[in-house]
Amino acid sequence: MKIWRRSTGSLLALVLAFALLGSVALAHHGRAGYSNEISTVKGTVTEVQWKNPHVFIAFDVKDDKGNVVHWLAELSSPATMLAAGMSRTTLKSGDEIVIKGKAGLESAPFTLVDSITKDGKAIVGDPNAEGRFVNSTR
Amino acid sequence: MKNRIIFIIALVAVLALSSYAFARGQGQNGPNAQAASGQASIPFPPGWKPCPRCQNNEDRRQDTIKYKVPGHAFDPHDLTGVWGYDGIGRAFSKPPEFTPLGKQQHEATFGEKTPDGSPTYSKDTSGRGPGSKINCDPMGWPRLYTYNYGFEFITLPDRVIQFFEMTHTFRTIWTDGRKLPEDPPEPRWLGWNVGRWEGNIFVVESNGYDERSWLDASRPADGGWTHSPDMRVVERYRRVDYSTLESEVTVIDPKTYKQPWATQKAVTKLVPGAEIGEEFCVPSDYSSFNDDYSTISGSKKK
Repeated sequence: MKIWRRSTGSLLALVLAFALLGSVALAHHGRAGYSNEISTVKGTVTEVQWKNPHVFIAFDVKDDKGNVVHWLAELSSPATMLAAGMSRTTLKSGDEIVIKGKAGLESAPFTLVDSITKDGKAIVGDPNAEGRFVNSTR
Repeated sequence: MKNRIIFIIALVAVLALSSYAFARGQGQNGPNAQAASGQASIPFPPGWKPCPRCQNNEDRRQDTIKYKVPGHAFDPHDLTGVWGYDGIGRAFSKPPEFTPLGKQQHEATFGEKTPDGSPTYSKDTSGRGPGSKINCDPMGWPRLYTYNYGFEFITLPDRVIQFFEMTHTFRTIWTDGRKLPEDPPEPRWLGWNVGRWEGNIFVVESNGYDERSWLDASRPADGGWTHSPDMRVVERYRRVDYSTLESEVTVIDPKTYKQPWATQKAVTKLVPGAEIGEEFCVPSDYSSFNDDYSTISGSKKK
């Protein structure tokens, strides 16, 4: 019985190790600087940077005091974004968007995109399937 | 005793499933990401096909029907077609024993650490590992194959051309009977390549490599897998059916590794509804990305 308990513990440790290995494997160009929590931010698009290796969207957000804060949202490669339903013209400067994503550490104005919604319509990802897009993008 | 047996069976099952899931994750990560979006892909103009990675799984499913893939006739000696949308990532994960020189070179690949102590790939010559600055140096061989965005074989009477979506480059595999040069006059990032058929297996042998490349992206904690200018690579490709290509890669480099380093057999699928696009490494784009990444990761003080 003691062996079995010890064995079960070893098994759980192995499962955990492989789970961690999998999460490390998802990293490509690095995910340092982002938290693991998904949060929501609303803003206005100022620029779509359709570039390799990853597409970025610059957008402005008004903070609690009404000040404009410049944010940056990171997506995946242009090829992957085409497959995910977004082209370089899907969003344009002035568009009002809601982004769910993994925000920058210590409230830094960055987000690793999980979904983008415009006019109530999902543009990228699924806002109701939290984490699905961001956790499988590199 | 019974419990021990159950434990061993469970352990083997978990390891096997985990390894499989890990391997699948490496090979399917991109396409999963596309499917995970929940949105239809961007359609291409009539008569034009998207790049291999510009498709999602639903596009591929439809193309399987459109191009009548199941049961399609094929010539096992013709590898022509656009294959795959991902490489054989992490193919080189457990090196053979290093030679003293190989050990020395490997130790020199470990880069800087982030403020929280995480290792980065700051010494990655092609700058594509986690945390590295991307400088668009060629990925070299076999690294380009381990992390590709799809490739295309084009068969000519005297050569096979292999085009790669990733970095939009190609290599020539000569099939006119010439021998590999004993002392190549210049090193090449993708080597000097000759090919021949052994039954239904297309064997590619190469040498004359530029030693600045690494074998694979590896992982920062592992360092980079280096090679010497004397590296030889042997690849074996077999078209199992119309839409399935098996491949194995063996690195032979006695100056760096005491034994040959062979990958497991990888399976790459035909992407009949795709054509190679333009996944260039654009220095100005990557410079901009490096700045973004540097800012986001906090490694550059604002």
